[in-house]
Amino acid sequence: MDTIISPIALYLICVLGALGVAAALPRRNKSLEITGGLVFASAVGLAVLVLGLKATDSGQPLPNYFFYPFAILALGASVRMITHPRPVYSALYFILTIIASCGMYLLLSAEFMAFALVIIYAGAILITYLFVIMLATQAPSSASAQFIDETDAVAREPVISCVIGFALLAILTTAMFRGVSDLPAASHPELAQDSVLLNLPAKVERILDRAGQLEAGERLARNEDGTAAIDIAARTITIENTDLHTTRTLQSDQWPDKLAAGNLDRLGYNLMHDHPMTIEIAGIILLMAMLGAVVLARKHIELEEDLKAAQARKLGDSMSGGNA
Amino acid sequence: MDHLLHSTQLAQLAFPEAVPAITLAHYLFVSAAMFVMGLIGFLTRKNMIIMFLCTELMFQAAGLALIAFGRHHLGADGQTFVIFVLCVAAAEAAMALALVVLLFRHKETLSAQAWKELNG
Repeated sequence: MDTIISPIALYLICVLGALGVAAALPRRNKSLEITGGLVFASAVGLAVLVLGLKATDSGQPLPNYFFYPFAILALGASVRMITHPRPVYSALYFILTIIASCGMYLLLSAEFMAFALVIIYAGAILITYLFVIMLATQAPSSASAQFIDETDAVAREPVISCVIGFALLAILTTAMFRGVSDLPAASHPELAQDSVLLNLPAKVERILDRAGQLEAGERLARNEDGTAAIDIAARTITIENTDLHTTRTLQSDQWPDKLAAGNLDRLGYNLMHDHPMTIEIAGIILLMAMLGAVVLARKHIELEEDLKAAQARKLGDSMSGGNA
Repeated sequence: MDHLLHSTQLAQLAFPEAVPAITLAHYLFVSAAMFVMGLIGFLTRKNMIIMFLCTELMFQAAGLALIAFGRHHLGADGQTFVIFVLCVAAAEAAMALALVVLLFRHKETLSAQAWKELNG
């Protein structure tokens, strides 16, 4: 049953979406845009319905409802972004898309990336875009406040690109819904979690200290390679007393509740331990981009030869005057 | 086996929000739809700034897929990759906007069709 209904519903969503977006793209005929928006909204509604049915199929009766508002907001804002004739509004709708996808990041327990995305993307990159849009757009005169530049008012080949785009979406989604059920469930998270904790002895020590497990003069024992002395298999932590040079073990039923590496610990550890070289490369990319942007956008001021000579003389005079 | 179970429990602790009933495919669908929006926008719009904005939308969609897969495999690699995607997106934005400003100074328009003679 699922194998028949699911593809048909998916392709229906894709066709409806393609029709909606193709009609909603900016053109001279304004009434078509509203119709397109409605058709696209119905496509999103159908998609939510199918996804919701698929969610209830998977065993648990209550789906996580927070996903749906974020998904609807992200898709609606992104289609409004590509269809709005005014660039500034497009950029603002893109910020809305980013915030909606940050909500999804939170649901995926990637809270650090969610806030970093708001700060970096919505706060920095998009503001740069807004600056350039305002810099490079002619201000409308008072007589033509409603005038929209020809560049923005009419889309180029809306039908063909919508067909190509949504054909791609149909293929992608078919592959996804078929393929994901074949993926093994993530039941083997390896030892990543434990190795993170093992390599963060200071953090483990702090957690133990806050939980009141460490008495005066005690500290977490370290292995020879500097990692925390946690025996994963036996579930014990070794604590040594530096004054008396004695050790004791902490059984797992005495472990504090919060003894786990959080998202930020894992991310930081992964970034610094597994990808140290990539950070260097990213730094070089950013530096090169900065230099390139400065060189590209620099304004060349052409001066006549005698004007140049006069300026050089003036500069020389002022400098020697300053010295004297 | 006990050992493995324990590490699974610890990993679940680090990801407290066990996504109930929302599967990986849901996030991938949203991600693919956002990517397609960006693609259509890039193909149809003539304003160069909007075209680059649409590439940012595609970056965003890729980031969502990376984070969803990272959550699926209970690892931090997806998030690390999103950091680098963010980094490349910032570099791309700087270059693209410098280029747009440069081209705008030459022709006084943002239309990509004003540069037809650049066809390869």
